[in-house]
Amino acid sequence: MQLTGLPIETIAWLAGAAAIFITAFYILKLRKRSVEIPFSPMWNRVLTSSRHRTDWWRRFKRILSWLLHIVLAALLAAAALGPHFDDEVLDERHLLILLDNSASMGATDVTGGYDRFDVARRKTSELLETIGGNDRVMVVLFNNRVQPLGPFVEDPSLLEASLRDLGATSNPTDLRQALNFAADSLRDRDNSELVIISDGAGLDPDTPIDVEFGPETTVRHIKIGESSENLAITAFNARRYPSNRLDHELYVEVTSYFDRPVEAVLEISSDGRLVDTQSLSLDARETHRQFYPGQAVTGERLEARVRLQTSDARDVFPLDDRAFATVPPPRRLRAQLISPGNLFIEGPLILNPHIDFERIAPEEYDPTAEFDITIFDRVAPEPPATGDLLYLDPPDEGSPFTISGREAQPIITDVVQSHPLLRWITLQDLNIGSSKTFTRSANDTAVASSFGQPIILAREDDDRRMVAIGFDIRNSDFPLRVSFPVFVLNILDYFAQDDVDLMYSFATGETWSIPIDRAATTAHMVTPDGERKATAIHDGAALFFGDKPGFYRLETDLGAITLAANLSSPEESDITPISLELESTAVSEEMETLFFERQQLWVLLLFAALALLLLEWLTFNRRWTV
Amino acid sequence: MSSKGRFTVAKATEQTDDSFDEEFLKKLEYLYIVSQKIASGKSRAQRRTRLVGAGIDFADHRHYTHGDDMRNVDWRVYSRTEKLFLKLYEEEEDLYIYFLLDTSRSMHLGTLNKWSMARKVSAALSYIGLSNMDRVSIIPFSSKLEGRLPPSRGKAQIFKVFDFLDRCGPGEQTTLKSAFKTFVSQNKRPGLAVVISDFYDPEGFDEGLNILRYHKFEPMVIQLYDRREMEVSIQGELELVDCETQEVRHVTVTPAMVRAYAKVFEEFCEELETYCSKRQILYFRAPIQESFEDLVLRIFRAGGFLK
Repeated sequence: MQLTGLPIETIAWLAGAAAIFITAFYILKLRKRSVEIPFSPMWNRVLTSSRHRTDWWRRFKRILSWLLHIVLAALLAAAALGPHFDDEVLDERHLLILLDNSASMGATDVTGGYDRFDVARRKTSELLETIGGNDRVMVVLFNNRVQPLGPFVEDPSLLEASLRDLGATSNPTDLRQALNFAADSLRDRDNSELVIISDGAGLDPDTPIDVEFGPETTVRHIKIGESSENLAITAFNARRYPSNRLDHELYVEVTSYFDRPVEAVLEISSDGRLVDTQSLSLDARETHRQFYPGQAVTGERLEARVRLQTSDARDVFPLDDRAFATVPPPRRLRAQLISPGNLFIEGPLILNPHIDFERIAPEEYDPTAEFDITIFDRVAPEPPATGDLLYLDPPDEGSPFTISGREAQPIITDVVQSHPLLRWITLQDLNIGSSKTFTRSANDTAVASSFGQPIILAREDDDRRMVAIGFDIRNSDFPLRVSFPVFVLNILDYFAQDDVDLMYSFATGETWSIPIDRAATTAHMVTPDGERKATAIHDGAALFFGDKPGFYRLETDLGAITLAANLSSPEESDITPISLELESTAVSEEMETLFFERQQLWVLLLFAALALLLLEWLTFNRRWTV
Repeated sequence: MSSKGRFTVAKATEQTDDSFDEEFLKKLEYLYIVSQKIASGKSRAQRRTRLVGAGIDFADHRHYTHGDDMRNVDWRVYSRTEKLFLKLYEEEEDLYIYFLLDTSRSMHLGTLNKWSMARKVSAALSYIGLSNMDRVSIIPFSSKLEGRLPPSRGKAQIFKVFDFLDRCGPGEQTTLKSAFKTFVSQNKRPGLAVVISDFYDPEGFDEGLNILRYHKFEPMVIQLYDRREMEVSIQGELELVDCETQEVRHVTVTPAMVRAYAKVFEEFCEELETYCSKRQILYFRAPIQESFEDLVLRIFRAGGFLK
């Protein structure tokens, strides 16, 4: 028997004192009350008739009350000792429970609960019930973020209340981040236990996680989930054609995580109308990719849905069966060309329907006028306060780019082909009469150089982008090439930043930076649930943490745009339960030594004392005892 | 403070109730008027006693008991029933009414006690007797006679009665036999012997009452009791002290024991009642919680006291 309560010497002292008090009070209680009666012979008759019990029984009754009180005091003393059985583990534990509430925990391939998270929550509650008086416990939720429900606490009821309202999120998993948090929290704590309640989905089994825990820490993984059978839309995007901003295309990616071939139907809806249905035959773990031309799908709100058709198969993870995309209206850019006249550059700008173009003579240039793009052709006056800038053959004076020299008939030897300015074009064999060369600063990228001397530079500052071309395009054959209008278009797209890539499609579980009008002062986000939340604005972008797939609507004081959010995580959609492995720490899946019962014997002793007290009260009031 | 206060109030109430004042006298006068209505047609000093052989008019039969004169046995009835019955005759004479009042300590137990009731009942019945020109005598007793109010007649003597009763104090333990022996030796004129007592005599009540009967007194028994004695509320580990004998008993009083006591008490009362009814002795039992007027009216209605 182990004793965890008060010291036995203290208990012995207290019990002895209690016994003395009980005995003293019992003796006092035994002092009989004297009652005067009119006729004692009548009582003699009563006593004679009731004198059927033996003397020893009557004597025993007289001391029974005293005995009951002594036993009562003994029970209380025993309870105060805090007794426990020998086989109970009583050492103080620091128990940290990492509870996975990522999107894959919403899979319904479980028994004993609604979904994986529900089962995980029950397991957590079972664990919390085993918490003893000396244990400390912390529950930490994790997906791609880490969210502790509180510090290490002794009273698990506080955590149980918080757990009741939780559910699986629509966020991907970042187990590494959660494990690092756990390692930091359990560092230098003795007898610590880390329990990870997770399906392990999203882990790469071939890449063990290297998070080091101390030798005092036992790591356990309670694996939740039974199946990997999921059919998912792992990508659904809409983008405009770079060469034709009026048109767009859709990209859909459907992945089967079944281990056998399945039949499915892919449906595309636009603004609530079904516009396309396609049957799919997918092999085991096959990914089907498909583009839809924009003419086939028009509308602002697009939705893709995949339905499993194989009768004996069940898709246990419905969250990724739907995906959302938006095609926002094209944005018109205002551009001004400060030039005495340059038809080569004016031509592509005038022909572009998404550009409001204006040519201004250098002497009429107003730096206070607001344009999205300003092009300086062979001049470098004071730049405007806002907007992106393109310098063509800038003069030495006034140019924000430092001109290092001039080179006749330069040959372009080095290009950064991956740069957005050079998308789909080549500068090979470009003939240039002469060109200025630049000195590159920290924010500059030398897009094209001649023997290490930058000729075309791109600069990204905090609030604007700038491009400098060192030569006069009229003094080259560049305008005569097919690539020139594409190059101009690339410059415009580079300044517009987002337009040619995925448009307003975001992944859940991330903080989105949504470009808005710089003049906007307030922004609110209407979530798929219809909830309207105030949104922070920073540097011309609204910042919002989105955690639900669906359509969002960002409302500013200058307009509104629609956004789409999807899980967009093939790793998270692969819901196959995976056993966690750490490179330097053993992970146990054995749970028996964790779920040990702690018998609170002191409670039973208190109940016994209470019962005894009740018995004594009953016997005394019925005069069975003295 | 509270218990003392309660005690004081009880005392004051008791003094007010026990005093033979104008109010009490009015009550007696009312009772007398009632008695006249009940016993209408009877002339003063012409009450009839049930004296065997001395009268002319046959009155009644009763069972033969030891000590009766064999000459009064109705042999005709015996020949028919083979049971001995006595013939009773009525005799007209001045009636002697003796009030034998128990003044033992048990009668004085408690603030509202049996003695208080006994003196009121005796005063009331005395007033009726005096008003009817009977000779009324009051003899308090415990183990012996505790004094004596000589027989007197006439309504005016009631104040002597009051005065005598006021002067009576608590006696010793009840011993009917020895007290009544003394009584019969001192009072040769037979008459109505009204015994007002709780009959808590350790030696029993029958011998004492038999002495009265054997000496040709006509006993009338009024048993007073306190309901609190019958329905005991005390429980627990107690030291019971007999108020008369000072005998001490250590008892653990349980609810079962209380029930047994109530049963024994009932048996005791039934024994006394049975004894009286078998011997045609007028018997009245009254709790002290009942008003004395009710008891007196009950006595009137039962007959026996008013002839």
